[in-house]
Amino acid sequence: MIRWTSRAAAALAVAALLCVASNAYAIPAFARKYETSCLTCHTVYPKLNPFGEAFRRNGYRFPGIDSDYVKQGTIVLGQEANKKTFPNSVWPGTIPNSVPLSIGVNGQGFVIPSSTSTAGRNARPGTVLDLHDLVAEGHIWTGASLDDSITLWGELTFVSDGSLSVEHFQVLFNDLVGPKHWFNLSVGHGFPNVTPFGPHSSYLADQMVPNVPIGELLGNTSGWVLVDSYTGLELNGVVGGRFDYAVGLNAGASGISAPTEDYYGRVGFKLGGLRSDGEGSTGAPQDTLRPWAETSLHLYGFGYRSNTFLDTTAGAPTPNDVATTWGLGARAQFGSAELNAGWYHDKHNHGTDSATEATAKVFFSELSYVLFPWLVPSIRVENIRLDAQDAAGAALPSVNAWHVMPGIAFLVRPNVKLVVAANWEHANGFPTVGGEASAWTGGAGDGGAFTIAPSPSTVDATSSSSEFQTISISMAWAM
Amino acid sequence: MMFHKKAWLLRLATATTVLLAAGAARAEGGAIKGKVDVTPAKYLEDTIVYLKEVKGTYPPKTHGLGQKGMRFIPHIMIVTVGDTINFLNHDNVVHNVYSPDGEGYNLGSFKQDEKRTYTFAKPGVYSQLCSIHPEMLGYVFVGQNPYAAAVDKKGAYEIKDVPPGTYKLAVWNAKLKTPDKTVTVAAGKTLDENLSVKR
Repeated sequence: MIRWTSRAAAALAVAALLCVASNAYAIPAFARKYETSCLTCHTVYPKLNPFGEAFRRNGYRFPGIDSDYVKQGTIVLGQEANKKTFPNSVWPGTIPNSVPLSIGVNGQGFVIPSSTSTAGRNARPGTVLDLHDLVAEGHIWTGASLDDSITLWGELTFVSDGSLSVEHFQVLFNDLVGPKHWFNLSVGHGFPNVTPFGPHSSYLADQMVPNVPIGELLGNTSGWVLVDSYTGLELNGVVGGRFDYAVGLNAGASGISAPTEDYYGRVGFKLGGLRSDGEGSTGAPQDTLRPWAETSLHLYGFGYRSNTFLDTTAGAPTPNDVATTWGLGARAQFGSAELNAGWYHDKHNHGTDSATEATAKVFFSELSYVLFPWLVPSIRVENIRLDAQDAAGAALPSVNAWHVMPGIAFLVRPNVKLVVAANWEHANGFPTVGGEASAWTGGAGDGGAFTIAPSPSTVDATSSSSEFQTISISMAWAM
Repeated sequence: MMFHKKAWLLRLATATTVLLAAGAARAEGGAIKGKVDVTPAKYLEDTIVYLKEVKGTYPPKTHGLGQKGMRFIPHIMIVTVGDTINFLNHDNVVHNVYSPDGEGYNLGSFKQDEKRTYTFAKPGVYSQLCSIHPEMLGYVFVGQNPYAAAVDKKGAYEIKDVPPGTYKLAVWNAKLKTPDKTVTVAAGKTLDENLSVKR
């Protein structure tokens, strides 16, 4: 009983951590800069429409000449004509005439309808309604341009536990050389572009591609996950309007001073719809009442190698954990219906508590339909399969977990949203830590990540278990 | 009394002659007016409509362009080749005037109430910059002829006293462009020509 309770409590703690995971929302600094609505780039934010995705890929710039669309006043730090006298004058630039900041809040409450939910009601008996995290995070965002090619993007997050983090801060040097959009360089702290889409571009989840925290699942201290903010460089671009790519190098999740040697790459191709760089009239919305709608197919593939150096003074079992990850994905859009699906393979050489091999195979999909501009029903399905070795290097039983998340995203106003989602989970076996069944965690649900724990005490690492975990009610506003 | 009557008749005759002469002068030239549609509209301010290559001899003139409140005033000045501009610093801070365009020039730095002079020998558009205050910008449009007009805040323009003939009507904008238009100006007539400039 004690063991079961502690597992459930651990699962609850993990759930709480995941609930306050990064939520990068729309940034009204851009709305002010261009004097345009959030709906120019978003449907229900932070989900980006095809134009918004192109804006993001272009380094947060409009297609064409960005400054043509800027309506917010700017302070000229040097007139363009000064370029003709460089190096005898400083290369000119501008800054907005007001500080380009936005603020916002997000959080979620939970209804825990099932008395057998291991992450909720059972961990804290009697808990049916949990509003503890209704305001989980506060954000300050910044987004600005210094000229038509250099842009800034940042996010500072205040968490309800009092902690503070710089989630993003990047300087984007766009159109470095060659044809427009071919070569852009981002420098700083941000999400590696392992897909052609915004990492938070989902109606129901905090991110489209779910994470598998191998370290947490298998008792290791390695903290690297595929979708997170890292510090480094990325070269990306769109070639010919249809082919997109990104290659990057970053410091990863070592958490200590260590060689910067994580690297990754992605290629993608879009058929139909608006060009990936948003240029030209090709693919412009046919129905002006449904500017988000198009018929397109965007395919992509990526590879990633991370080497996480662990702090051995903290008792970590190995000096490093190398993860080799690759995956494929697609976004298909037919009018207002959109299907995102993908799969990736994530192999760690020292991923377990005994520094043996562990591999996760991850599937995700999200189907949505923009019924009205303010109402989007969706359903997400995630599956994580885990294969690991024991201390002797022998294969442990393969285990997997499913997460099904139907929900509806509402816009109360263009900058105020509400998401109601149900979280149902099924575990076909549990990860093994120290020879015992441990809780699942991972996934991408906004307040609904995998958190199913092995319960009751008769459940072992090969048992199946299902639960209706929660109904989550997420709210957010930004201005 | 007789003397006064004669003088009055003389004055009347003189005035009539002057009026008739002025009317005849007006009849010699025509005008072009219209509106320029600028996209994006925020670049409207930097727009000039002008005629290319109008034969004639244009006596040189002298103009004044001030630096006041850390701005060039007027923001755009239209002159003709051979004209001279006196740049006058009204501010109690030191200014400079230079242009990287055309043959390029740098008039050095000068204090309040000091002026610098420059005569424009070649047609073109000269950015007016101040090396001490890099945010300052003005333009001097140096035409081959004086038939040019800056647009007003509504995009309207009018070029007056144009000799009758067929010309190329052109638009200069700091960021935008449009093809030239061929226009024929008739004596005593006003031609309406609306224009559109964009990327």
